[in-house]
Amino acid sequence: MSTKEQRERIELLQGTLDLLILRTLRWGPAHGHAIAKAIEFRSEDVLQVEQGSLYPALHRLIKRKWIAVEEGTSENNRRAKFYRLTNQGRRQLEVETSKWDKLAGAIARILRPTEEGEP
Amino acid sequence: MSGRRARMLEGLDQDIREHIERETQDNIERGMTPEEAAYAARRKFGNVTQVKEDTRNVWSVVWFEQLVEDMYFGLRMLRKNPSFAVVAVLTLALGIGANAAIFSVMDAVLLRPLAMEEPSRVMYVQEQWRDLRPGLSVGNFHDLEQESTSFAKLCASNSASFNFATPEAPERVQGELASGEYFATFGVRPLVGRGFTPEEDKAGHGQVVVISERLWRGRLHEDSGIVGQSLVLNGARYTVVGVMPKSFDPLLSGSDLWLPEAFTPTQLADHDNHYLSVMGRLKDGVSPARAQAELSAIADGLRQKYPIDDKDRSFRVTPLTTALLGDQRLVLRMLLGSVGLLLLIACANVANLQLARARSRQKEIALRAAVGASPQRIVRQLLAENVVLGLFGGVGGVLLAYWGVAWVVAHGPADVPRLQQTAIDARTLAFACAVTLFSSLLFGLAPALRSASVRLSEAFKGGAGTSSGGSDRLRSGLVVGEVALALMLMVGAGLLIRSALLVSRLDPGFDTPNLVVGRVGLSETGYHDPTVARQTFEGILKAASALPGVKSAAVVSRAPLAGGGSSNGLLVEGREFDLANLVDAQLQVVSPSYVSTVRVPLKAGRDFTPQDTRERTLVTLVNQTLARSMWPGQDPVGKRFACCESGPKGRMDPVWHEVVGVVADVRAWGLDRQVAPEFYLPLAQMPANAWDWIGRTMDLVVRTEGGAIPVHELQTTVASVAPGIPIYHVSSMQNNISSSLERSHFDTMLLAIFAATALLLSTIGIYGVLSYTVAQRTRDIGIRMTLGATRTQVMRNVLTYGARLTGLGLLAGLGAALVGTRVLSSLLYGVRSTDAITFAAVSAVLVAVALIASYIPARRATRVDPMVALRHE
Repeated sequence: MSTKEQRERIELLQGTLDLLILRTLRWGPAHGHAIAKAIEFRSEDVLQVEQGSLYPALHRLIKRKWIAVEEGTSENNRRAKFYRLTNQGRRQLEVETSKWDKLAGAIARILRPTEEGEP
Repeated sequence: MSGRRARMLEGLDQDIREHIERETQDNIERGMTPEEAAYAARRKFGNVTQVKEDTRNVWSVVWFEQLVEDMYFGLRMLRKNPSFAVVAVLTLALGIGANAAIFSVMDAVLLRPLAMEEPSRVMYVQEQWRDLRPGLSVGNFHDLEQESTSFAKLCASNSASFNFATPEAPERVQGELASGEYFATFGVRPLVGRGFTPEEDKAGHGQVVVISERLWRGRLHEDSGIVGQSLVLNGARYTVVGVMPKSFDPLLSGSDLWLPEAFTPTQLADHDNHYLSVMGRLKDGVSPARAQAELSAIADGLRQKYPIDDKDRSFRVTPLTTALLGDQRLVLRMLLGSVGLLLLIACANVANLQLARARSRQKEIALRAAVGASPQRIVRQLLAENVVLGLFGGVGGVLLAYWGVAWVVAHGPADVPRLQQTAIDARTLAFACAVTLFSSLLFGLAPALRSASVRLSEAFKGGAGTSSGGSDRLRSGLVVGEVALALMLMVGAGLLIRSALLVSRLDPGFDTPNLVVGRVGLSETGYHDPTVARQTFEGILKAASALPGVKSAAVVSRAPLAGGGSSNGLLVEGREFDLANLVDAQLQVVSPSYVSTVRVPLKAGRDFTPQDTRERTLVTLVNQTLARSMWPGQDPVGKRFACCESGPKGRMDPVWHEVVGVVADVRAWGLDRQVAPEFYLPLAQMPANAWDWIGRTMDLVVRTEGGAIPVHELQTTVASVAPGIPIYHVSSMQNNISSSLERSHFDTMLLAIFAATALLLSTIGIYGVLSYTVAQRTRDIGIRMTLGATRTQVMRNVLTYGARLTGLGLLAGLGAALVGTRVLSSLLYGVRSTDAITFAAVSAVLVAVALIASYIPARRATRVDPMVALRHE
């Protein structure tokens, strides 16, 4: 892995990873590997999750009762743990999303102030 | 929580494995070889162990598990470095042990509540007259009982001792006369039987006694039918009505008997003799301050009612605990303060050792940081190591304290109340634990923080050859602090020692060798008549003088250092009869042989003779202090004063005593106490009332030719003249003098031990820092020597560094000691707390010891071989 490649990826902040997991689970329950893949795919590989860090994050979310876990079988008939969004998690997602939007907007305004002020 | 945690973590390993398998599978589908696929999947997943630990940490009470883990690790580290561990543990054990021992003494003597119901509600009432606090007169107590509303219960007592007739031999037993509500005031019930009834506390009814459990189990052989039986006390029969539990000792007087006061109508009207201890239990909701206010108002009334007896008198309300134990507070706090300083020094020393070790451990710590341990985790790890160290120190300390307390109980001064009850108990252990934890953090925090903040690159780059300035400053600062603290303790000990030396050189005022004292108390029954009492003592005197080995014998109401006397107001002839003109002085009634037997120098006039009887002129001897204060600059011989009794025309009719001689001051109240004005009356001229003042008890003083104390001979002699009357407290005068100093010598010795330990520890501190510095700078020294520095220069360099640390510590310590030793002022005799000689001597000792401690590393520095040093890296 060259340094150039590394620079183009963005390391995830802890809270961001939580948010991305919640967002991913909005489409329905998924197992760990699927969640990781979904995050990578949807961000077009810009956001590289070190896949292992998913697990502490998942357990953190279970502990906060934002997601729940249930046994199930995966697409190729293998036993797997499926993570599912709870109602509480759904509400939290809305809160977190709006917070994120505000933050992103604010940062964007700081970084590109001229675009707004000039015609 | 742990159940849920276990369930959640159950499949974690498998989950991770399957995750990686899926990724591998995906990679294979993308066209990688199986090996490449597996490698890429694992890489993408990250550190599996770390992930597992992080996930587990989500669920666990992590710090506890880590603490246990860290402590195991700490234990292993200490085992690897036994010399460090031993020195550190011993140092801590000294500090913690001293603290635990002194705390345990303080707890037993001061902190534990008195054995009674709600001791904080019990007040001690005294009269306040000028700067004295005497007991209450019976009359004042009686008025207080009727007028005061602050107390739910109010009682009075005065101590008395009794000749207790047992089949074996008469014995002297300490007891108290107590008024009716005595037991109820303290809220303690008898073990067996009952207290006094109000009826029994009336004059003429009181032939009952309450005894202590100790007396019951001891001399009365635990007789189960004791209640209802009778005892013979001072020749009279008393019926036992109750037994008090052995914890009952409300005034810490060790009483074994309680008899009703049963005041007579004459006593109840007496406002002139002030001797009663008065205790009251506050009513609910009444504060001590409110009780004081009420009693002050009552005192105003009494002053108007009894303008002569109660002139200038008021009442003083103090919590009983303070009244009984207040004296102990200062010394115990001083000792606790001293061991606190000692602990600080011990901690500074261990911190210094840790700092030295931390440098050699830099690589180990850097390695741990490199594999992902956070700074907090490293600090915690190092602190845990310190806690392990502290625990060992704590265990050692408790052992030391255990021995220390046993030693203090065995050798401690006899007059400290409750000292014998000192023991290492749960409270002491809890205190020791707290001290241990506190000191572990204290000595461990600085080194741990410093280690954790070391940057990785530095640690791996630098060898052990260079020293980091910051760490050295901290270490030097610790040594400076140690020296300062040690100096404070040494100055304190030095002052006490100097004071003790001065006291021991004081002239007691009489000739002490071969002087034997014993006390004889005649009972009311059989010896009520003053003439009989006097003749009995004269008989004893005659028989004792005739004993072989006895040069001469005398009786005195209270021998020097025997604690006691009766205070009287003297009116100088020529001054108006007014209380304000009275001079307060101590009365001693003596046989004519007294002055020559104890050899008090006669400074002027003549001694008493057997011819000084009631039929002749009433005469008196005065001590120099009284002579000076009554007739400054005049010859007192031939002068007269009135005292002690009134003439036939009533209270205002003076009875004159003529001064026939002046004797030297005798330090009757202890060598380190101020001499009180004192006057002597001959036994044959003593006022009849005085027999009651001295409780028909006198001290027999015998000058022997040397050899053993003739205890048995004296007992037989007394018994032959007064059958059934014992002589007790027989001992040599020199013994009495040394036991009067026992207390202050003991305090001095303890402080001296602490100071010596402090000196030792801080010397180790100086030595340690210098040795370490020399070891660190071996290469520098080598280079300098190659460049031409002489050995003398090298040595001077190291010594200068040591001297600078000592000097700074000395300055800080002297400053602190100037302020700190002020608390000692009241314990010092003849030395001011800022005594220049002590300060100078102590500083000199400290500097000398510090230089020796610096010399050894300095010499080691001169032996550095430049070639070896340069090749060192």
